[in-house]
Amino acid sequence: MPTYELALMLRTMPKAELKTTLKRVSHHIFSRGGIIRNIENLGFRAMPYKTSAHGVVHREANYFVFKIDTPTRVVADLKEEYGRDVDIIRQRVYKATEETNTNCTLEKELLPPAYRKEVQNMIEEGKTQVNKFTYKFNYNSGLDYYPFQK
Amino acid sequence: MALLKTILTRHFLYTPRIVPTITRFTSTESNVVADEDAPVDMQNPFKKEQRQCILCQLKITPDYKNYRLLSQFQSPYSGRIYGRHITGLCKTKQLQVEAEIRKAQNCAYMPYFYKDKTFLKDPKLFDPENPIRSHRF
Repeated sequence: MPTYELALMLRTMPKAELKTTLKRVSHHIFSRGGIIRNIENLGFRAMPYKTSAHGVVHREANYFVFKIDTPTRVVADLKEEYGRDVDIIRQRVYKATEETNTNCTLEKELLPPAYRKEVQNMIEEGKTQVNKFTYKFNYNSGLDYYPFQK
Repeated sequence: MALLKTILTRHFLYTPRIVPTITRFTSTESNVVADEDAPVDMQNPFKKEQRQCILCQLKITPDYKNYRLLSQFQSPYSGRIYGRHITGLCKTKQLQVEAEIRKAQNCAYMPYFYKDKTFLKDPKLFDPENPIRSHRF
């Protein structure tokens, strides 16, 4: 089961109601064979843009991020379930990314073009192609007429 | 005369030449002196330090939940993401930042067309007026 991050925006509501909503959201995950690794509360704040959901315009939202492990085929089902939930304004599911340590290639990128691997490959590729600017049509090639516009 | 002299000296030098080579093996002093003058095997002392982009230096992986960091790569006037020639990031980090900003905007953490006014006075990581390469903006 891959790890997903479920970003939820919930409508403004009192704390008790919020609690029941969060419970409902997590029960949907559990009933489909998923587990919750972590729940993050990013707080209640003004949205950067107004959003209309279920016939109401929302300008503020409670931000939550669920880190969940579920089978992949369940994700679409969960999305559909939460899409129908009136308390959820907006929801996004992303695959959780692992921290990867890659070497910084900045030094190589700042080299003059002739020393960059990318440019060298481009020049090599260009050599295999016909140069449009220097290509000259041969009249003795079997065609008895000039095929291009003069 | 000069020719004679040279021939003579050559002849004279030729025979005793063998003698000092033999003595060299016995004396350790001359060996040490020769080692001091010999070139020392060492790394290039003038080699410049490898430059790194700011995210690689601080070992930061951009994340869409950290929208305050991401907003530093956004123009305060138009909300657009600054390019690699302005931010000075390496290719992989720039791609990651762009992807995470898109995610954050989609999740309604970050605005599309402006920068959050509470982040306007955040420290500047780069100067958009002085890009690495010139640009048309």
